[in-house]
Amino acid sequence: MDFLSNLSLAFSVTFQLNNLLFCFIGCVIGTLIGVLPGIGPVATISLLLPSTFRMSPVSAIIMLAGIYYGAMYGGSTTSILVNIPGESASVVTCLDGYQMARQGRAGPALGISAFGSFIAGTVATILIMLVAPPLAKLALKFGPPEYFSLMFLGLTLLIYLASGSMMKALMMACVGIFLGTIGTDTISGIERFTYRSYTLMDGIGLIPVIMGLFGISEVLLNIDEASKQEIYKTRISNLLPTLKDWKDSILSIIRGTFIGFFLGILPGGGATIASFAAYAVEKRISKHPEKFGSGAIEGVAAPESANNAASQGAFIPLLTLGIPANVVMAILLGALMIYNIKPGPLLIKNHPDLFWGVVGSMYIGNIMLLILNIPLIGIWVKILKVPYPILFPLILLFCLIGVYSVNNNVVEIVIMIIFGIVGYLLKKFKYEAAPLILAFVLSPLIEIALRQSLLMSHGSFSIFFTRPISLILMVVAILLLVLPLIPGLKRPPKGEEEIS
Amino acid sequence: MKRHDQMSSLVWLAFAIYICIESSRLSFGSFHNPGPGFLPLLVGLLLGIFSIVVILQAYLSDQSQEIVPSWYPKEKWKKLICALVALFAYAVCLEILGFLISTFLLLIYLFRSGMESKRWAVAIGGSVIASFSSYAVFELWLKTQLPRGILGF
Repeated sequence: MDFLSNLSLAFSVTFQLNNLLFCFIGCVIGTLIGVLPGIGPVATISLLLPSTFRMSPVSAIIMLAGIYYGAMYGGSTTSILVNIPGESASVVTCLDGYQMARQGRAGPALGISAFGSFIAGTVATILIMLVAPPLAKLALKFGPPEYFSLMFLGLTLLIYLASGSMMKALMMACVGIFLGTIGTDTISGIERFTYRSYTLMDGIGLIPVIMGLFGISEVLLNIDEASKQEIYKTRISNLLPTLKDWKDSILSIIRGTFIGFFLGILPGGGATIASFAAYAVEKRISKHPEKFGSGAIEGVAAPESANNAASQGAFIPLLTLGIPANVVMAILLGALMIYNIKPGPLLIKNHPDLFWGVVGSMYIGNIMLLILNIPLIGIWVKILKVPYPILFPLILLFCLIGVYSVNNNVVEIVIMIIFGIVGYLLKKFKYEAAPLILAFVLSPLIEIALRQSLLMSHGSFSIFFTRPISLILMVVAILLLVLPLIPGLKRPPKGEEEIS
Repeated sequence: MKRHDQMSSLVWLAFAIYICIESSRLSFGSFHNPGPGFLPLLVGLLLGIFSIVVILQAYLSDQSQEIVPSWYPKEKWKKLICALVALFAYAVCLEILGFLISTFLLLIYLFRSGMESKRWAVAIGGSVIASFSSYAVFELWLKTQLPRGILGF
């Protein structure tokens, strides 16, 4: 009966008028920025974060969550029609989606990706309801060593899955942890690396760093490598997939959902990795793998389902353990702290309206998104036609206002621009920003967990290996680090795009 | 990629040395009771080691004939620098000229010479609409306190 009473709580919160409204706003914004290349959910959520401070935390998280999974719906549209992924999680969708559009099957491609996303989103929501509460109970047993090992595993996983050199990903993680230590040390109260700057005393803000690395740098790259985008001129008809399309793709949707969900839960995983993994699995088990890349509907259905399931599964570690699985969750973690809600195992118990409200909003949000993306697809295609030279000053303006409005501090604008340059150079020299950001966010948590663990163990690192949960997490992490060193064992193939 | 890797890792190595020197001034504490300098020194050392590994890897890798694109934009670097200067100038001017004027000037500049030159009508119209509507949304509706500047708006 627990499940049913939780469900009724979820819907009673979701169906409050203002929550429905914010869920809808989130879904619309999410689809919009999903369609627009050059601005993703990370930049948008950090941009809108300051304006949520006056809302109730429940409404705020419902809206921000809607933006995140809404972007997964919108991202596929550009991949299919323009061959430019609106989101990094839709990169693989280009492979077969664009080919389908060229063969005049843009309608079914868009249709199946929306329906696949819907099925995946709904199933993932049910799975969250089943998995999260027991996981939170288990997490109550976690002490500092377990938390340290879990975060260590999360970082390791992201490094392992990095698309480029693993060494470089390790370096990025170190830089991220270092950046996180800037500011006043929470344990001793001593200032570190602040050089008497008032802005730095509170540490480098998460929002300027993220907006710089993901917003500004993206614009700089686009100025540099401006590509003319051609929308494939096709009449979009028959959005409803045929019976044969369904037959071909329903199993792919189900597989994509589960792959996405579990990769979403893992810290360091996320929607992008999930979509690549789902595509790879489909290709491997397909009876006709040669069709992939030339317009196979499975190649659209699987990754689009996976990225949606992943974007919702990613809420589990945040809401049960207080550990962000990816960059978007890291921003939401920051948001929760600003709203004065302590993320962690007690969140479901202490703030049931928040947890169940957000979960409930996902059901409704997925229905809204299905309506937004199937009958109203024409509107989004029109928005695609806004040329980048018009768009980019506006993106820059949003970044500037967003960063300024957090603390009304001009220095943070400068920090953002500097990280924009850093992000640009990292891209050019083939370093990934994702491990840096995750490490940066986790840094204060890692440091406290590490120092408390060492206090507990009187300075012995063996504490991480003598407690069973911690031991398991550590062994997995170390295996991930050591495996690539063994000759003959190659890491799984990666996509060309970075993970964010 | 080889030369690029060597260049970038040298920068990271220098950064690692900086971290180590600066964090050794903070108290390291002990393993029993780690101090504020403990974690920075640890990651500084690791970063240094990793960057040396990348330098060595690049040095030992075979001279493949891969064509590596230049890391800086050969044609558009002027546009890039100009856009950056405009952004920094915006940060400096924001609190002096106020939000509306600085934003209008930044946008007009970016529309005119950001990527491709838009017609003056488009540039001025776009800048006016964008700066006033963002002012309306953020200042009037969301009550973000945007800087007013010396002119008082």
